[in-house]
Parts: sequence; structure tokens; C-alpha cells
Amino acid sequence: MLNKLSKGFKLAALSLLFTGSLSAQQAIYLRLNEVMPNNVDNYQDDYGKQSAWIEIFNNSPATVDLGGCFLTTDINNPTMYPIPKGDILTKVKARQHIIFWADNNPSHGTFHLNFALDSVKPNFIAIFDSNGKTLIDSITIPPIGPDQSFARVLDGSGAWALAEKVTPSTNNKILTGQEAVLKFKENDPTGVGMAITAMMVVFFALIVLYVVFKCIGNTAMRISKRNALKAQKGTVVQKPVDLGTESGEVFAAIAMALHEYNNEAHDLENTVLTINRVTRNYSPWNSKIYGLKELPKKR
Amino acid sequence: MDGNFFSFLGENLTEFLTFTGFANVTFGHIFMIAVGLVFISLAIIKEWEPMLLIPIGFGILIGNIPFKDAGLQIGIYEEGSVLNILYQGVQQGWYPPLIFLGIGAMTDFSALISNPKLMLVGAAAQFGIFGAYIIALAMGFEPNQAGAIGIIGGADGPTAIFLSSKLAPNLMGAIAISAYSYMALVPVIQPPIMKLLTTKKERLIRMKPPRAVSQTEKIIFPIAGLLLTTFLVPSGLPLLGMLFFGNLIKESGVTRRLAETARGPLIDVITILLGVTVGASTQATQFLKWESILIFVLGALSFVIATSAGVLFVKFFNLFLKEGNKINPLIGNSGVSAVPDSARISHHVGLEYDPTNYLLMHAMGPNVAGVIGSAVAAGILLGFLM
Repeated sequence: MLNKLSKGFKLAALSLLFTGSLSAQQAIYLRLNEVMPNNVDNYQDDYGKQSAWIEIFNNSPATVDLGGCFLTTDINNPTMYPIPKGDILTKVKARQHIIFWADNNPSHGTFHLNFALDSVKPNFIAIFDSNGKTLIDSITIPPIGPDQSFARVLDGSGAWALAEKVTPSTNNKILTGQEAVLKFKENDPTGVGMAITAMMVVFFALIVLYVVFKCIGNTAMRISKRNALKAQKGTVVQKPVDLGTESGEVFAAIAMALHEYNNEAHDLENTVLTINRVTRNYSPWNSKIYGLKELPKKR
Repeated sequence: MDGNFFSFLGENLTEFLTFTGFANVTFGHIFMIAVGLVFISLAIIKEWEPMLLIPIGFGILIGNIPFKDAGLQIGIYEEGSVLNILYQGVQQGWYPPLIFLGIGAMTDFSALISNPKLMLVGAAAQFGIFGAYIIALAMGFEPNQAGAIGIIGGADGPTAIFLSSKLAPNLMGAIAISAYSYMALVPVIQPPIMKLLTTKKERLIRMKPPRAVSQTEKIIFPIAGLLLTTFLVPSGLPLLGMLFFGNLIKESGVTRRLAETARGPLIDVITILLGVTVGASTQATQFLKWESILIFVLGALSFVIATSAGVLFVKFFNLFLKEGNKINPLIGNSGVSAVPDSARISHHVGLEYDPTNYLLMHAMGPNVAGVIGSAVAAGILLGFLM
């Protein structure tokens, strides 16, 4: 009983460990994506004011909650702005963006930071995980002109550059989702390339399986022969039987015969085939006269 | 009782009549209901794939009952309706992997393990998918649509639904109906092609009986199969993962209850839901398009190409095999993954020429290899075109 309980506890501990690591893993997909340190006449917050902003991108295929993570402009003070927990708006859907206002006005809400960005000097910005120690992403923004933004060329990954267009809360590069299709349309309009490539992959996959199972099969047959030889040692049978290449049907027939013999099946049959006429006692239950399908007779 | 009351009753009745099917019926509805009735008749009278054609046929009737578009949340395309909720399994693509779980739990891969070269026949039959892809492109379909249509040639309903839900959701109804229709018509489509492409001598080839396969080999198969195929084509993971998982719970011998649930109640429930909702998705207003007819034509072509490719590949393969090891080309058709129907066809056609030549067990090899091959092909198309 105790042994069972201990196993249960171990399993529970293991599952908790995995759950913990999963939730921790999610925040690592967050990326600083675009920053405007000197907002003069650009994007406005809910209060109608222009302030510097930092855009964060969720580079994962699932929703990530930023609540509990930290934003900072000082590597030595990673917990400068703790993003409040429990705000439903901090949950960022897959491959979506969220904006934080660096206006040093946290009383305006979750997305208003307790620090501002310098419009003249380079700005170091970092996001830390909820433990306040694990750096998720950081960037140093060089001094840029008013109403200009410094952004990743491709959302969530790749190099940073001065953005050609300012794109708060939207993709830095517009993707139609049809790139792969367009690529095939342009380079392989007949589909022959796709057919050749795909058939090669299908054949390769099944050839690999064939080779592996050929080897496994040969090994299994060798083992089977060896075991058969071992079993025959000391018996009167002189010539070893090659069990490895025997048909499965033969084994099935032998097994069935033994099974029936051991269970004494078919020794006494209930049904007898005969050419003699068999008399059967009359019963109204098997009489066609009383059949339910009999049609009413007209008189 | 004054006149107002009677006019109120009259107005109510007139209003009610506008909600009835009779007031909203179109030629399209009548046509699709007729199609549904044909499916049900084929299933009951001819016993062609009754497990699929009865739910799909009845689903077509359900989906084509005309009604007034008044936000009553009854149609399959109305968000929040019961049918729409059930349809999510098709749209989001989670019914097909569950079907694959059941298929894995009921499939015996012994024939394939005992004679692994038959895997190549399963690979050859996938030409049907890519042949149809080429023709679909020539007909003017976009590459993603052509990929979704081509998969009909894999003769695997769940795979066709899974792939079309990802690549071309707007064509999914037509693709699913086409795939299942041709799977039901395998006994009609395949034998003439098999006879046309083989000589009498080839049809009489006797194959070595398959050797006995140990349980260890059967247990290694799903594990090695998963690792080898999905490392190569990770996009096939939902289908291949569930197929091999289902097979492992069958072959491990220690999870009998799980295997029985997967191959019994679970697959039955999902088949019912999948069949009815796929059928209901053929709502005339959404389904009756020129594209749907083209998809049916392409579906037939893909089956013809797949069957021919399988048979011709075996003939080609025989050129390299020693006498006594040759493969009967009549099992080439079973490279398509309509399990076990195409294997049964090989068996029946073989018996026509030699009543003592039993090809069923041999044909099951390429048949189950076809399931793996079509799932791999679907993964490739998904990886390239998504």
C-alpha cells in the first residue's frame, strides 16, 4: 500500500514539475519587436497623449501571459517594472503584439511603465521572466529622430533596423500567409517539381522503414533459429527444423489443432448430416399456418 | 372573435409557412437530397462502405433540409449551432487523428513486417496524389487547392479531410465526399485497371506465404515507424503519431482495454460524428459549384493513377526479383490506403484466375504501407504548401 502511495506521489511530483516547466517556457517566446523612443506626433495612448512606446511580440503558436514578467532599462535592476498579474489584457495571443507606454506614469494602467525613454541617448531595454533573473530579450536602441521607430525587420526574429514605416501593434513586415503557395506557383507551375520531390521523400521514408525492418526481421529469424537449436539439444531429433522461414499459417494450423485437441472440441458433434428423412414432431409454433405474414383470405 | 383575430392568425400562419422547408427549397436542395438518398441506397442495397455511406448520406439529408436564414442557429455553417459545434472536429482537424488512432489499434502490420519490400508498393501508389496534383494545377487550381484535391488519390478519407481542412477549407466538403465516394467505389474502379495492366501469367504468380512475426517485431514496428517517418516529415505527426500509438497499444499486450476502446467505441463515435458532419457540410448553397464537379473528376483520375502506378510498379519491381520471390501484380492496387477494401479486391481478382491463390494476406502489406505512405505524402504537402 505504502509502495503504491509513494509511486503516486512520485508521479504527481513529476507532473507538477512538467506543468511548472511548461508555464515557464511560454514567456521565453516573448520578443521586443519595435520601439519609438521619441514620440512627438505619432501613436496616441488612451489618454490622447504621445509618449515613447515599446512593442512586444508573442513569437509562439499559443497565448502567452506577460503578467509577472519585468520590463527594465537597467540590466542591474531587472525588476524595474513588474507587469501586473491578473489583468486579462496581458494575455497576448499567438503571433500578436502588445504596446507598453514608457511615460513614467504607472497609475494610468497596466501598460504605462514606471520609466521613460531618453529621446537623445541610446536606450537599453530588456524583458525578464517572472523569476526576475532570466533575461528573455534585450536591445539597445540607438538615438533616432522624432516619430521614427527602431524595429525588427521580421516580427519576432531577425535583425533590428530603422523602420521604413512605423507599425505600432501591427506586423513590421506584412505577410499574406501565401508565400509558400506563391513560391510554388512561380517556380513550379506544372507541379512536376513537387511530384518528383514528394515522391522521393515518400520512397525514401518507406525505403528506410524497409531497410530497418529487413534487418530486424533477419535478426529475429536468427534468434528464432538459435532458440530452436537450443531447444532441440538433447532430444532425439537429429535434423534441426528451420522455424524461421516457416509460414505463419502452419503455426496457426498446429496451434488450432492443439487447442481443439486440448479442449476436446469436436469429439462429439451435435449435428449429423444424413440423407435419411428426419421426422419432426408437429408443433403449432413452427407451423406456417400460424405465420404472422399470412394474408387475410377474401370470401 | 373579431376580424382582427382572424387576420392575426392568418398572418401567423403565413409567417410560419415562410419558415418551412417547402417555402425555401431550391433545385440545389432537391439535387443534394437525391445524392444523399443514392448514398444510403448504395450502402444498404450494394453494401458499399455502409459504415461511411450511411452517416454521410444521412448527413447530406440533414445538411440540405431548406430553412429560412433567420439566425435560428440550426445550419452547420451558423456559428454556435449544434451541427457547427460537432463540425469543429472536422474544421479543426482533430477527428482524423482520432480515426487514425483506432485504425492503428485495429491494424495488424504482420504482413508488412514479414515482407517489408511490400512497403515500396505502398509508396508507388502515392503517384496518384501527385498525378492528380499536376492535373489540378493544369485545370487552374491554386497549388494549395491542388494539393488538397490530389490527396483524394491516397484513398484515405481522414487524411483527405485533415489536409483539406488545412490547405483549402473551402473545398473540404467536396474533397471529403469525393474521397469517401471513390473509396466506396473501389470494387468498381480497380478491377478493370488491374486486369488491363496485367497478363494472365502474371495474375497466376504465387507468392511465398508470409513468415511468422514475433511479438517483439510487432512492438518495435510502431516505435521505429514513428521515429523514422516523423523525423523525416514532422508535419505528418498528427496522423502518423496517432496511427503508430494506436498500433503500440494493440501490440504491447498490456493495454488491452485501451486498444479495445480505441478500435471499438472511440472509432465508432468519431466515425459517426465525422460522417454525419461531413455529409451535412454539403449544404447545396455552399457545395453545388463548378469546382465540386471538377474535384469529382480529379478524384476519379487520382484513383485510376494510383491503382495503375501500384500495379505497374510491381511489374517493374519483378524485373529485379528472382523466380520464386516475385510479387503478384494484382496486389499493386492495394498500395492505395483503402483498408482493407483494396486488399480484398486483389484477393477476389486473384481468385478469379486461380481459385487456390489466396492473395489477401500479401495484399494487406502494401495496403497498410499505403496508409503510412499517404500520411507521409499529406505531411509533405502540408509542409510545402502551408
